[in-house]
Amino acid sequence: MNRRVVVTGLGPVSSIGIGVDAFTTALRAGRSGITPIASFDTTGFLTDRAGEVHEFTPEAMLTRLDPADWGRSSLFAAAAARLALTDAGATDLPDRSDRIGVCMGTTSGESQVVERLTEHWLAHGYPDTPQRLARQLPAGRVAEAVSRELGLTGAALTVSTACSASNYALGYALDVIATGEQDYMLVGGADSVCRWAHAGFYRLGALAAERCAPFDRDRAGVITAEGGVALFLESLDSARARGARIYCEVLGYGLTCDAKHPTAPDATSVARCMRLAHQDAGVKPDEVDFICAHGTATPANDAAEYEAVRDVFGDRLPPMSSVKSMLGHTMGAASGFSALAGALAISSGFLAPTINHVTTDPAMTGLDVVANESRPEQPRIVQVNGFAFGGNNAITILGRLA
Amino acid sequence: MTVTTDSRTDAFVLGVSGWGVLSPFGLGADEFTAGLRTGRDGTVDATALTEEPVPDPRAYGLVGFRARDHLGRKGTSFLDRRTAFAVLACGQALADSDLVVDDGNRDRVGVVLGTSVGSLQSTSDYSRDTLVQEKPYLVNPILFPNTVLNCAAGQAAIWHQLRGVNTTLAGGGMATLAALRYATTVLRRGRAEALLVGAVDEYTPQLAWAQHATAAPTTVGGEGGAVFLVEDAAAMRAAGREPVAEILAVDLGHTGGRTDLAAALADRVRRVLDQADVGPQDLATVVTSGAATEEQALDEVVGPDADRVAITDLAGNCPTAAGALQVAAVLAHQRGAPEHDGCLSLIVASTADGSVGAAVLKGTGRAARDHR
Repeated sequence: MNRRVVVTGLGPVSSIGIGVDAFTTALRAGRSGITPIASFDTTGFLTDRAGEVHEFTPEAMLTRLDPADWGRSSLFAAAAARLALTDAGATDLPDRSDRIGVCMGTTSGESQVVERLTEHWLAHGYPDTPQRLARQLPAGRVAEAVSRELGLTGAALTVSTACSASNYALGYALDVIATGEQDYMLVGGADSVCRWAHAGFYRLGALAAERCAPFDRDRAGVITAEGGVALFLESLDSARARGARIYCEVLGYGLTCDAKHPTAPDATSVARCMRLAHQDAGVKPDEVDFICAHGTATPANDAAEYEAVRDVFGDRLPPMSSVKSMLGHTMGAASGFSALAGALAISSGFLAPTINHVTTDPAMTGLDVVANESRPEQPRIVQVNGFAFGGNNAITILGRLA
Repeated sequence: MTVTTDSRTDAFVLGVSGWGVLSPFGLGADEFTAGLRTGRDGTVDATALTEEPVPDPRAYGLVGFRARDHLGRKGTSFLDRRTAFAVLACGQALADSDLVVDDGNRDRVGVVLGTSVGSLQSTSDYSRDTLVQEKPYLVNPILFPNTVLNCAAGQAAIWHQLRGVNTTLAGGGMATLAALRYATTVLRRGRAEALLVGAVDEYTPQLAWAQHATAAPTTVGGEGGAVFLVEDAAAMRAAGREPVAEILAVDLGHTGGRTDLAAALADRVRRVLDQADVGPQDLATVVTSGAATEEQALDEVVGPDADRVAITDLAGNCPTAAGALQVAAVLAHQRGAPEHDGCLSLIVASTADGSVGAAVLKGTGRAARDHR
């Protein structure tokens, strides 16, 4: 069995909008979700901005989960999945719940729960570790939250391949639907803003103070961020049979591992990943109309990403854009939000902008950044890049239904 | 419930070509097998593992384990304990296998490791530093990668120069079965030719207390794990290589909060047996994670005939290590024991939140090194 797989539902819980309509409007307008940090005390830090989802109200969005029992990342995942299922008009599928699988990505799982436990241990010692927090700790709950919120009895996997995890999940969903292991998949990713990541990126010299400016000459790094994102996938036959609106087809994906350095990106390995993805999708480089870049805005990432694109695409570089300029780096959700931007580019006819863009890095000859304002286009094929610590590269290819 | 999955018709069988294991019963497949056969108590005095207070004086711990003793001094000083375990277990599995990894195939050989929270000590210590240092940002940048859940799999790839699919799956006691299921799909789709699949975890005061607080089946802590080099069994045979064991089927599901855990697991066990074309009466051994609900499910589906082993006697309350050691225990039982050729075993696992899974293994009674 080798079924074609399509995206029929989108569920963003982001700092620039919750739900596909609000998100699409904000994406098209190039809105920034970066604000002063509210989730932890920033006293003593030299930078205090992040992409927090201040408007997230799990108690209003979730039907079955009690927010008191779950960490923030799991709640993001569950809320995003409910939005995606609703957007897909697939809420009538519970009787087939066994045929709906879940695969959610995360970088740090319940990082805020680790921080609460650590504060408790620091203040009170280890004995009397609060059961409520200990129960919320396992990162695997990010996918399990989706299963429990939606009453799904198919397999629930949590992919924790850091910042490319959502793309891994999307690729896995393609495989299991194509082979008939599952008929429907809810996939995506979630992460929460936390002190330690803010500190760690700062000490790596990879944290920007004010704004995230991918591919800019003066880019200064990431802005840490959070959110949840989900996509509902099914076979093309299933979507047609139930008359579902189809955002795009998932044409293929590629995975590579650098096996070189825990944090520094490797352009050779990224280029190999692109070629694998193209081969899997059956597309040639000159057929790719838009690249949703990983684009973290660290000097090292953007340089390596450009080098790899140049290597694979030669002199004709497709327009590139990074939604991290608006959202910040949502970690395990990041490539899921990029995939949403890719799906919306195909379905709604616009290339999402890279905001905060002043001067394209002069070392990046021929790079076509979609600078500051969205661009009306009708891309047929979109490439979504996701790279990560651990050298975990994952690239997905989306296409207009032909 | 009706079985809608028609997997038997397109079964894809995983062949295990070698494995590695870390346990107080022994490091490496041969040592672990010999250790298990002595039937000794594997617990150690937990004060030999940490100077911090711990919830139980005993633990299934790797006393005296130092990464540099096994991996050398170069590059090991910043590895956390879990990562060092992963690197070592992957190396053991490669050494135990007859698969040759070289520049001709290292792009197609990968790593799929299970975890629960990564290294809780690494993340908690990092978080602690933001609270106790003079400035909250005075954390050690070199240790930052250790806070990410995929650190161990990424380091295993660096250490063994494996550039293929590299995936980390979080699932605690379900993580090994999830990794095997994921690996089945990846290999079946031709995205890799061999994958090191397994899970490891570390005994630290943070994890010991967190596990203790969740009312696990035992208060005794644990650590270790195992890694299995898996390939397409049919492709192995076509190349004249014989797997040391086969994983005939792996099936995963979830209660979705709709049914109780025992019922959901019983349903999965029925399905996995059906997919493997195996009857409950054919099973020689069933290995559980030790949860009472698993026993209930097995009473219903499998009955009393097969030997039942709870892995808590090998890994205490460390679910991530336990899940991998469930598979290792079966392989050890069959290793170098020709009388167990063709022996069928069932592995079941579950999480407190409703994930359930089961796998059927078939032994060959051979050790991988037999054909060297």
